[in-house]
Amino acid sequence: MRRPQEKLSLAWLLRHPLVATCILLALTIVLPYLRVGERLKLLTFLPLAHASSDVSETPYEELSEDERVRVDLQRERERVSELTAENSRLLQSLKDANSLSGSDFAKSPMPPAVNAQVIFHGDSSSWRSSCWINRGREAGIEEGMPVVAGRTLIGRVFMVGDNEACVQLVSDPGFACSCLIVDPDNPNEVAADRVRGVLRGDGSAMPLFPRLELEDVAVGAEVKPGMHVITNDYSGQFPLGLTVGVVRETIPQAGFLEVRIEASLDLSTLEVVQVLQHKRPEIEEQALALLKKK
Amino acid sequence: MIQAIRVRSQTPRYRWRIVAGGGLVLACIHTLLLHRLKLGDFTPDLYAVFALYLGLFASRQGRYVPCLVLGLIRDFFSIGLIGSYAVLFSLLHKAAGRARRKLDPDKLLNVFIMCLIGTFLVNFGYHGMLVISGYGVGWSRALVRCASIAAASAPVAVLVYPLAHMCLHRLGVGRSGGYWNI
Repeated sequence: MRRPQEKLSLAWLLRHPLVATCILLALTIVLPYLRVGERLKLLTFLPLAHASSDVSETPYEELSEDERVRVDLQRERERVSELTAENSRLLQSLKDANSLSGSDFAKSPMPPAVNAQVIFHGDSSSWRSSCWINRGREAGIEEGMPVVAGRTLIGRVFMVGDNEACVQLVSDPGFACSCLIVDPDNPNEVAADRVRGVLRGDGSAMPLFPRLELEDVAVGAEVKPGMHVITNDYSGQFPLGLTVGVVRETIPQAGFLEVRIEASLDLSTLEVVQVLQHKRPEIEEQALALLKKK
Repeated sequence: MIQAIRVRSQTPRYRWRIVAGGGLVLACIHTLLLHRLKLGDFTPDLYAVFALYLGLFASRQGRYVPCLVLGLIRDFFSIGLIGSYAVLFSLLHKAAGRARRKLDPDKLLNVFIMCLIGTFLVNFGYHGMLVISGYGVGWSRALVRCASIAAASAPVAVLVYPLAHMCLHRLGVGRSGGYWNI
């Protein structure tokens, strides 16, 4: 007996959820520029983020005495945390400048920064690393901007809401960044001789967190434990000279060196971070900058 | 027999409250608590444990879609692709159904074995998806991590499943043929 042919409709899709999910998955892959998945996720996080950021929606004049005191206190706390963050950033910059004394990286100009508090640490997947901060588009934050603590790279802005943003941490497997290896004992190193590589996280969890690796380092490159790893402005995604970590060991692989890095910061203890308002230059601007260098 | 038919014909009252509430609680545990415990790769995959419980003990209608929804909840609280865990948990429920025919899930040793294999496969599958996206961490390292996560999750399942049975019994959820009417 022939089965009656079923029509492909919404009801049919609801009865076959695996097919529906596969279609959803395919749409999320096929339409990366619309970022449907990210937008949906942002919508689910909005109430949580608003609850955590303690932003009062009521105008100040309409508040009661107690509420005004509370709001004032909250503002003072935010100011103190911003000043503390700035202080720690300056201290870190000074420390980095001392550790890289002689080289031009510590003196390289930093773009303007927006201070932000970390609302949520962690990610529901054990393979991914992300956190949420309480500043968003209204504070001038855009997708792809680098996130730092002091002069140390933490990650980049992955998606942005009006008053919150998701940060992809350096330990996430999807994070990649062009890096340089600098010898602190040899400040007169020629720029062309510096070893380059691509930083990749592996989503590792504590106590090995964050465990980072530098890939695509050429075999024969002179890399020793204790050398500093800093960001390279080769792709324009990150400014030059942000500290990433220190080389821990090198493992020779077929055709390249695997460089393991001890990260400069424990990402799980972060409270305040800075989002650098650094935009990736257009390809023409990058080409012009390269020509000028030559 | 009549009792079993009566239990099956009852409309499940707690299905979506259990799935949505459980999913959100696990999201909080994963994002706010687990990373503070410094367990390294031995971090239990509580979502997979929960999905396996649904796959093993929920009624026919309470397995497929709830596992899918649970996966979607997890996807919403992660920066990965939406639908990754939803697909994996849907497949996990299928595998759990097959395993249930061979192994009695009321025996704790069987629960341990099934959870060990189930969580390993879910995490291995997720790494497969990462590889497709170009974010793989290397197969040998992934195998070690999947094994570590599975080893951490299996004892949790052994501890939690009897408690879950007790809670469902207290809530007055009917059970027939080893399946809860959720």
